[in-house]
Amino acid sequence: MNYALLSTEVLTAVIGLTVLVAGLILPQRGKKVVGILAMLMTMLVLVVASLHFTDYEVFFGGVYQVDAYGSFFKILFLSAGLLVMLMGGKYVERFEERSSEFYALTILATLGMIIMACAGDLITIYVGLELMTISFYILTAYVLNDEASAEAGLKYLILGAISSAVLLFGMSLVFAMTGTTIVRDIAAQFTVQPAMIAGIVLMIAGFAFKISAVPFHMWVPDIYQGAPTPVTAYLAVASKAAGFAALARVFMLAFPLDQFNWSLALAILAAITIVVGNLIALAQKDVKRLLAYSSIAQAGYILAGLAAANVYGLKGVLFYAMLYVFSNTGAFAVTTAVEVETGSTDITAFNGLAKRSPFIAAVMTICMLSLAGIPPLAGFVGKFYLFSGAIESGYLWLAFIGLIMSMVSVYYYLTVAKAMYIGPAESEEGMAIGGAARFALWACLAGTILFGVFPAPLSQMTQCAIGLFF
Amino acid sequence: MIGLTHYLILATLLFGIGLFGVLAKRSAIAVLMAVELMLNAVNINFVAINKYVVPDTGVGQLFALFVIVVAAAEVAVGLALIINIFRQKKSVNLHDFNLLKW
Amino acid sequence: MSDYATIGVFLLLTMAFPIAAMAASWMFRPKPKSSEDKMLPYECGVDTKGKTWIRFRVSYFLYALVFLAFDVGVVFLFPWAAKFKFLGIYAFAAMLIFISLLLIGLWYAWKEGALEWY
Repeated sequence: MNYALLSTEVLTAVIGLTVLVAGLILPQRGKKVVGILAMLMTMLVLVVASLHFTDYEVFFGGVYQVDAYGSFFKILFLSAGLLVMLMGGKYVERFEERSSEFYALTILATLGMIIMACAGDLITIYVGLELMTISFYILTAYVLNDEASAEAGLKYLILGAISSAVLLFGMSLVFAMTGTTIVRDIAAQFTVQPAMIAGIVLMIAGFAFKISAVPFHMWVPDIYQGAPTPVTAYLAVASKAAGFAALARVFMLAFPLDQFNWSLALAILAAITIVVGNLIALAQKDVKRLLAYSSIAQAGYILAGLAAANVYGLKGVLFYAMLYVFSNTGAFAVTTAVEVETGSTDITAFNGLAKRSPFIAAVMTICMLSLAGIPPLAGFVGKFYLFSGAIESGYLWLAFIGLIMSMVSVYYYLTVAKAMYIGPAESEEGMAIGGAARFALWACLAGTILFGVFPAPLSQMTQCAIGLFF
Repeated sequence: MIGLTHYLILATLLFGIGLFGVLAKRSAIAVLMAVELMLNAVNINFVAINKYVVPDTGVGQLFALFVIVVAAAEVAVGLALIINIFRQKKSVNLHDFNLLKW
Repeated sequence: MSDYATIGVFLLLTMAFPIAAMAASWMFRPKPKSSEDKMLPYECGVDTKGKTWIRFRVSYFLYALVFLAFDVGVVFLFPWAAKFKFLGIYAFAAMLIFISLLLIGLWYAWKEGALEWY
């Protein structure tokens, strides 16, 4: 075993602790520099992770795996974390002396996600999952003296704890039937028995909560609305991607499809999620809440690819998860900028944004059109992979529902655009956004357009990453 | 003779009681206790399975240890969040936390 | 027979240790006059002063939470200690890292004032 291959994980842990300790040592809790420190070091780790993309090693008899699949998600989580820190810098300033903990928790949550995506056994998945969620509980309730934030944190904690208990119960039943927790060994011992099926169903329920699939989505709108906006962005893109990473690895490797057809259950779940998420989003007046329901719908699309469980579908899952980072973070970055400026995320706060800052309004519009799946933006390519995968596996009806609902989703995305471009402007003065946030917006814009126009490089990366399933 | 099935039934019952507690209790602290009950049901499962299915390894016991530690972390954060919300609302009743809906 | 001698030595040592500790504390402690409070039987702590059904300071709970976190974290030491010889130097290093992480946590709690009692 070559422990140097664990450098990404070790470095992430080290920078998380460094930022925490920097807050203890530096004057004024290091509120000026911790942000820059955290961003620079995350960028460094991102470079390290990208250089080690093709590494392959199995640690401790399958407990932890370094492979292209894990590396793909490492890059995804680190770039999401970096974008969120960049665009949230201005927002985090209001935490003043507590910003070092904010960055430290963000990085530790990233570490949890990385562990989740690379874990090859159920214990490790659970530990990574909890490292991520517990960090998010704290981050959600991070705005002191704000009742919505405190309430969101408590709700997330209670619902999250229940879902982990359900997931664990499912894992214990699978362990009872197979006598092992290593994902690859489970497949060898797999037998279809009632207890095994109960375990798989409970595990689907536990993971469905993390990826916010209907009917396990009730927490999403409340928590997304109550949490600080950068945290919401991170929850929406990275926490969800981590859930998908673990879900795909466990189900593809541990439960052979030819013995037990779990894909139909996921397909039904995906269909309900797509329909419910999009329909409720139509009625939303708060942009954060609207994005919450839209993210539920997006989870449904990705789940459709996983239900397909073939090359196209899984490529779609990875492709969509990556582009979702850029498109959704872009939308949330604009929301954050508006919230910092006006103090509200209501749709009326976006009125006349195009006059105040054409650039910000353009980023918002393009990101939202990408989420709706309009060509030539990235979302279209992602949905193309997902739905062609579904059709290839015989879920024509699922692809059909997805297409219809994508069209419905254009409506609510455009209500925001309408407010920005036609809405009555209350003030004409330009909006000042910081250099870091501007960089993050450009990066999101570039990602959203480039992955749509030149999907080949990312597509090759996903092809390489899903190699371990086929 | 007590076998694996008995333990599994006990754990399932405990899990159900915990779930009922989570859904029926109104005090946030009682809800946390009910969640603990659910996690402990899982622990019983793991230890019993370890004893009856794979007695020569310790995987199940190790899993139970991890669950205990993570549950403690979760409760620590949970109580801190409850203290935080109590300072603002002077209440730990979940019915009073109704700012966010729909 | 020498095995039993070892046990005998241990027996003497274990008897000598508490005697030595008590003797030392008798020698070094201040010896004020005895009062009524001091002669009370000590069962489960001293008698309370004032009402007991009062609301505790919130810092008590913070203290308890910090204790809980470290108390439970130490549970990982047990399986490691049980298999110490088998696991060898690598696990020892890993455990040192684990404990140093706990120490950073303790340092943080200390700096944050979670250990203050006022």
